[in-house]
Amino acid sequence: MTGWHLDDDILRRYVERADSLAEGTSVEQHLLSCEQCRGRVNAAVDVVDLAAVWDRTRDTVEVPRPSVFERLLRVAGLPAHEARLVAVASAFRGVWLVGVAAILAFAALAAAVGHARGMWLFLAVAPIVPCLVVASSYDPWMDPALEPELVTPYPALRLILLRTIAVLALALPAVLFLGLFVPGEAPFAWLLPAVGFVAVVLAASTWVSPLRSAIAVSSVWLGVVWLLAARSGSPDAVLQARAQAGFLALAAGSFGIFLVRRRWLRQLRPGR
Amino acid sequence: MLTASISLRDVGRRFGATRALADVDLDLKPGVIGLLGPNGAGKTTLLRLLATALPPTQGQVSVLGLDPEVPAERTGIRRQLGYLPQEVGFPRGFTAFAFVDYIALLKEWTEPAARHAEVRRVLDLVGLSDLGPKRIRAMSGGQRRRVALAQALLGSPLVLILDEPTTGVDPEQRVTLRTVLAEIARTSIVVLSTHQTEDVAALCERVIVLDRGRVRYDGPVTDLVGQAAGRVWLADEPDPAASVSWRTGTGRYRNVGVHARDGVEHVEPSLEDAYLLLRGGSPESKPAEEVAS
Repeated sequence: MTGWHLDDDILRRYVERADSLAEGTSVEQHLLSCEQCRGRVNAAVDVVDLAAVWDRTRDTVEVPRPSVFERLLRVAGLPAHEARLVAVASAFRGVWLVGVAAILAFAALAAAVGHARGMWLFLAVAPIVPCLVVASSYDPWMDPALEPELVTPYPALRLILLRTIAVLALALPAVLFLGLFVPGEAPFAWLLPAVGFVAVVLAASTWVSPLRSAIAVSSVWLGVVWLLAARSGSPDAVLQARAQAGFLALAAGSFGIFLVRRRWLRQLRPGR
Repeated sequence: MLTASISLRDVGRRFGATRALADVDLDLKPGVIGLLGPNGAGKTTLLRLLATALPPTQGQVSVLGLDPEVPAERTGIRRQLGYLPQEVGFPRGFTAFAFVDYIALLKEWTEPAARHAEVRRVLDLVGLSDLGPKRIRAMSGGQRRRVALAQALLGSPLVLILDEPTTGVDPEQRVTLRTVLAEIARTSIVVLSTHQTEDVAALCERVIVLDRGRVRYDGPVTDLVGQAAGRVWLADEPDPAASVSWRTGTGRYRNVGVHARDGVEHVEPSLEDAYLLLRGGSPESKPAEEVAS
């Protein structure tokens, strides 16, 4: 071409938009025909990464905000991705939790006001609450996405245990708190049975659906409590060291079975 | 290095006393393989076996040279696996983006920026790039099906198992999906089950027909269609010689049967004709309208 190029001063004024209209027009005329100067303009301008800006914009629109519970889990030290995995469980959603909490609160209230059957009611309900919420945290009926979840490289055992622990971390203190209002020693009698029943549900869910096993375990327990109430009229039978040791053994044994049979967990899927 | 191959040797699966699958021997290579068969033929069971969602009760399954019954190898398979189950439920309140993002998390995409980009890529592939922030419960059946398909496409897996991927998807989108799957099948094994014979005809080079848990046909689509040559004809009335016949849009009857009478008006067979012929026109495979026996 002409061999003439933009001098640095003009180039700087153009890039900083400090040039006059006439100067700018002539610079642009020159740039149209001079590849070398176009290169110098490119180098002088901070190139905005449009793709990154666009991605950030889309993130704002598309990426869901973590729920309160998910943020709580992160504060508790769980990595962001695992907090999400736990929080997704339907057990943490809506009417189910409210319903369970209401039944429990009613039982505790009945016991607290000293109603004769109130304590029995609390003893009957308190141990089955944790196993029902654990079961629902990975039951195909409550977690409809379970089938695709279980064929990912993420270990099914870890997923289920993580949810179980998170659910227990929420449910146990709640039941414990309500138990404080229950007179006598009974408030803590439910703890070991509860742990035992959770383990039974985990083990049984390698054969049948978790919610079904939880309902079966709950029914058996309600039957046992009903029998005890009808016969002895005192919950001492559950409080005895031998009975408590029995629940501990039940928990340990069931958890062992669960670990041995864990490969069958992947068969969990929505029923037809 | 994993090789894109699947082999099944003498595989069977029982559910209690029911035998869902028996004596299945298959070798699968990259390409689109179509699975046809009536309801209850064992298609879903076979796909679940391939997707490591179910162990066989008999025989050996090998996916990418790995054994799904060995935990470490099963995880290896799952890193290269996309699976679309027959029915996918979605957690309440989830948007399309949130759901696919969640499955991506389970598939070990822990780095947010890369994960979000991948989620957008697969939503784009299924034609839902604008619907990421839309709640799944507010979507149409076909859109939900595509959200479910998107999660299977995450990470461009070497093995893609799709149980009725086109159910409820409109014709235009079906064509788009065929293009996407054909592209993936250049390097990956895509196995899909369907009741839509036209999907198989348009997309698959190989078709497997299952019936009561056994493989009835396994080979090129063209060979299966070839079997029906000279066995499909038009007539003004349903032909008693045919094993299946139905009234077409023109008011004439399309007859499919092994023994066509002389002098009938033969027509070019479709894959559906060939499939019906293979099935022998047993009642559950007959078209709904005006079936003559």
